[in-house]
Amino acid sequence: MTQLQEPATTGPGAERPAPSVRQLTFQFAAGPAIPVLSVVIALVLGAIFVLFSGNDPLRAYAALVQGAFGTPYDITETIVSAIPLVLTGLAVAVAFRTGLFNIGAQGQLLVGALGAGWAGAQFASLPGFLLMPIVIVFGIGGGALYGGIVGLLKAVRGVNEVITTIMLNYTIVFVIHWLLQAGPMTAQNAFGTPASTPIGAGARLPVIIPNELVLFSRLHAGLFLAALAVAFFWFLLWHTPLGYRLRAVGLGARAAAQAGIDPARHMILVMAIAGGFAGLGGMIEVSGVFGRVYDGFSSSYGFDAIAVALLGKNSPLGIVFAALLFGAFVHGGAYMQSHAGISSNLVAIIQAFVLFVIAAESLVRSLTRRRGARKPMEAIA
Amino acid sequence: MKRILAFSVLAATIVASCATTGTTTSSSAPSSASTATGQHPKIGLVTDVGGLNDKSFNSLADAGRLQAQAQLDVTTSVTESKQQADYVPNLTKYAQDKYDLVIGVGFLMQNAVWKVATQFPNVKFAIIDGAPNDDAGNVKNLPNVANLFFKEQEAGYVVGVIAAMMAKNKVGAATHNTVCSMGGIPIPPVDRYIAGYQDAVKTVSPTTKIINGYSNDFVDQQKGKEVGLNHIAQGCDILFQVAGGSGLGYIAAAKEKGVYAIGVDADQIAVAPGTVITSALKKVDVAVFQTIRSVRLSTFKAGDNSFNAANGGVGFGALDKIVPADAKAAATQALADITAGKITPKDTVQVKP
Amino acid sequence: MTWEMVVGASVFAAMLRLAAPIALAALGGTMTERSGVTNIALEGSMLVGCFFGVVAADRTHNVWIALAVALLAGMALAALHAYASITLRADQIVSGMALNILALGLTTYLDYQMYGTTGTPADLAAVPDLHLTFLNGIPYVGEAIADQNSIVWASLLLVVALQVFLFRTVLGLRWRAVGEHPRAAETVGVDVRRIRYAAVLASGALAALGGAYLSLGVVHSFTDGMTGGRGFIGLAAMIFGRWTPLGALAASLIFGYGNALSTSLQGATVGDTKLPVQLLGTLPYILTILAVAGFVGRSRAPAADGVPYETEGHA
Repeated sequence: MTQLQEPATTGPGAERPAPSVRQLTFQFAAGPAIPVLSVVIALVLGAIFVLFSGNDPLRAYAALVQGAFGTPYDITETIVSAIPLVLTGLAVAVAFRTGLFNIGAQGQLLVGALGAGWAGAQFASLPGFLLMPIVIVFGIGGGALYGGIVGLLKAVRGVNEVITTIMLNYTIVFVIHWLLQAGPMTAQNAFGTPASTPIGAGARLPVIIPNELVLFSRLHAGLFLAALAVAFFWFLLWHTPLGYRLRAVGLGARAAAQAGIDPARHMILVMAIAGGFAGLGGMIEVSGVFGRVYDGFSSSYGFDAIAVALLGKNSPLGIVFAALLFGAFVHGGAYMQSHAGISSNLVAIIQAFVLFVIAAESLVRSLTRRRGARKPMEAIA
Repeated sequence: MKRILAFSVLAATIVASCATTGTTTSSSAPSSASTATGQHPKIGLVTDVGGLNDKSFNSLADAGRLQAQAQLDVTTSVTESKQQADYVPNLTKYAQDKYDLVIGVGFLMQNAVWKVATQFPNVKFAIIDGAPNDDAGNVKNLPNVANLFFKEQEAGYVVGVIAAMMAKNKVGAATHNTVCSMGGIPIPPVDRYIAGYQDAVKTVSPTTKIINGYSNDFVDQQKGKEVGLNHIAQGCDILFQVAGGSGLGYIAAAKEKGVYAIGVDADQIAVAPGTVITSALKKVDVAVFQTIRSVRLSTFKAGDNSFNAANGGVGFGALDKIVPADAKAAATQALADITAGKITPKDTVQVKP
Repeated sequence: MTWEMVVGASVFAAMLRLAAPIALAALGGTMTERSGVTNIALEGSMLVGCFFGVVAADRTHNVWIALAVALLAGMALAALHAYASITLRADQIVSGMALNILALGLTTYLDYQMYGTTGTPADLAAVPDLHLTFLNGIPYVGEAIADQNSIVWASLLLVVALQVFLFRTVLGLRWRAVGEHPRAAETVGVDVRRIRYAAVLASGALAALGGAYLSLGVVHSFTDGMTGGRGFIGLAAMIFGRWTPLGALAASLIFGYGNALSTSLQGATVGDTKLPVQLLGTLPYILTILAVAGFVGRSRAPAADGVPYETEGHA
């Protein structure tokens, strides 16, 4: 498993000067881009499955694409599904960049959601320009706290972050059960729905697309927060001294130590930053979609985030595209089921094939491209 | 360069297929060509995140849908929600496609149905186990929404009568005069069952010991079995499961130790013949069927629709042969008494874990 | 709260029952990571073993065939991962995740197609418990181990066997060398690819055995997603156990103990307050964190773990 002494398995590779956004996009598109061939292979494999199940693959795929992008409403819904994945993807990626495996985005998102949900209800009477920043701070702070614990345990006691993140993910789920079913955060008027008190109107992220443009769209201002987060990720990692140090730590602790960097402190910091991203994602879901914290609202955002981060090569735009791909599967997949009669599990199978083939194809490409270049970790070992 | 070209080709393909597919009301099976005039109604079912095979409400609702499709000359479609954020778009897509009735399964959809029903006042909706909830969390009945509520405590009561009779009279393997129950999580749709069960036992056989527990899970069978073994070790002979898939593990514990179990929601006597003595039925399938039929016959009733003992919406399922005649008679009588209003089973749990 | 609830024999019996599937997954993870391949698709292998074991038991009414089919199913999934990771040198994490999604989608789909309305049959061929009646006299230990499932015993034996294998045999040494310095191992003639393939297949089989234990040994039925993350807990146990079979067992036992407590403590009171049922659910996870933080500390993965290997002379 990835840990500090080892180079990240999907680290940035042998880059030297800080790449610009343009370069990063090229790197993503030119190197590990998704060649049409690999996607076609995956779709063919999926089509075989669909055929076996007695359905028409062409109808199935047409429904998938139509469901995800067919109308403006669908496009906004695909984006709405993608937004939390962008944030949790950033949470996983920023840790990967520094050599840590953050499986805990799931839990960090939930703590952020709890913080935002609590603050939004507690101070519900405040006006928006006061309440919204408070809720954002609580969201980011909650997630950062939960991520920081992981970093702290690793720095102080050497506990592998894979263990703590998995354990903390489950722990917060049960704590939320208690908080929302029979505990201090249970809403008064819940009537048995395990949910928190609804947040104040000032804490709700407004829908940014007017009904005249796209009827009933839910696309909310969380989109801007997500964009800011992506920009912050890029800026932090490639345009600040801290980011340089974090990436150096990711390339090898020994090299980092030689450069005078204390890995322990940076572990705590980066896990807190990662948690902050995920917590913001949780806050956005509460403020932009639900208006309160429902028990179980995040079934797999943190988990899918791992695939999103890796597919996106831990790069800002890559994560955005990967998140949109996942969002398309969610929203398009539902349409496949409702209008083409394809079982939702077949959608999952197709999604698995796409992931699998992309994983195999892209790395093969990047390895053959880099053949001959020594891996940077060998220089350090 | 080649890769960028390839990527752009892919993107262009996607965009092109969007352009050709255009609006949402394109021809897509299973809906037929006719639109909503009541002639050939289109019914949409949106499930909760548990999936169609959750051994609980989703599967029952789907059974009702399939039955309606077979018998009522309607076209139906189902969409499984993968996460809670999907409720709104899943409901909206059906409404946009001018479906006649869109059914949401579960109390978590209350706000989503309220949102979408408000946006589409000409489409009828139904919620299983809930009523439309606005953003402040308050109930706001709508003229196009039917709230399908069930009196689970009545179902729990009648199976509790059977359990109490068997425990009291030490029938078969039920020698310890102890009964127990296991819920998934302590939420009212689960706890109402348990409340009625406990109420019946306290009424019919006050000396019987009552145990209660939760698995904290609706899926994990091993967890359910551990709770079951724990209860059996405390003397329990009749285990009432209210925990979906996890409850099957509870039943497995009863089977392993040679004692008895009671199923929930659907008739579960076939799950473990000889172990399951009866089931507390919540006829979600009947409710779905009847709601679809009401749309077909234009007798749709918005607002609260209660399914209880009086209208056959809840009851007890097939009895194992070990269940003595007097227990069956007592349960049947209890059902009649509840219908007549003579008994009102409690809906709050008295014996907590 | 009574002592019985905390350290009673029934609690230890439950601990073993709950630890077994996790230990098997952790063993699988240990074997593959010791050879240098990260396999996070243990959850998927466990799930397919769970499901196809039930299908085979239903069709053949023979528990041994059912077990064999379960192991084969787990290995088949692992073979995909092996091919992707070793031959294609793909990203092992993404491959593992993809296979987990595949396993869940496939088993859920087939379960619905085959057993959707009725559920799995009631009288499946079952893996028997071992009733060691001669232990019934022994007060504490006897009750804890007298009625465990055969697979629980099998997993204990496997732990010992694999510990001996990895650390006391020549092949085990080579196995570990492949995980630490594959280039050096290859230069002395060790077939890196073959060992890694064997390792990944073995991990699939071990995880599948854990799944078959759940469906054929414990509850005798299948419900969608019934492995519930045990494959991932197994990964945590593997790391906790420092990539050794005995360590994996110890870690699994600690987790299993916490899990057992979360059931046995239902209804317990501390002073006047009842422990909330929901918070009891956190016990195994908190206990594990405390145990690792308190007693284990740093653990080091095999040096070449997760890094795709380019053999000399290959493309």
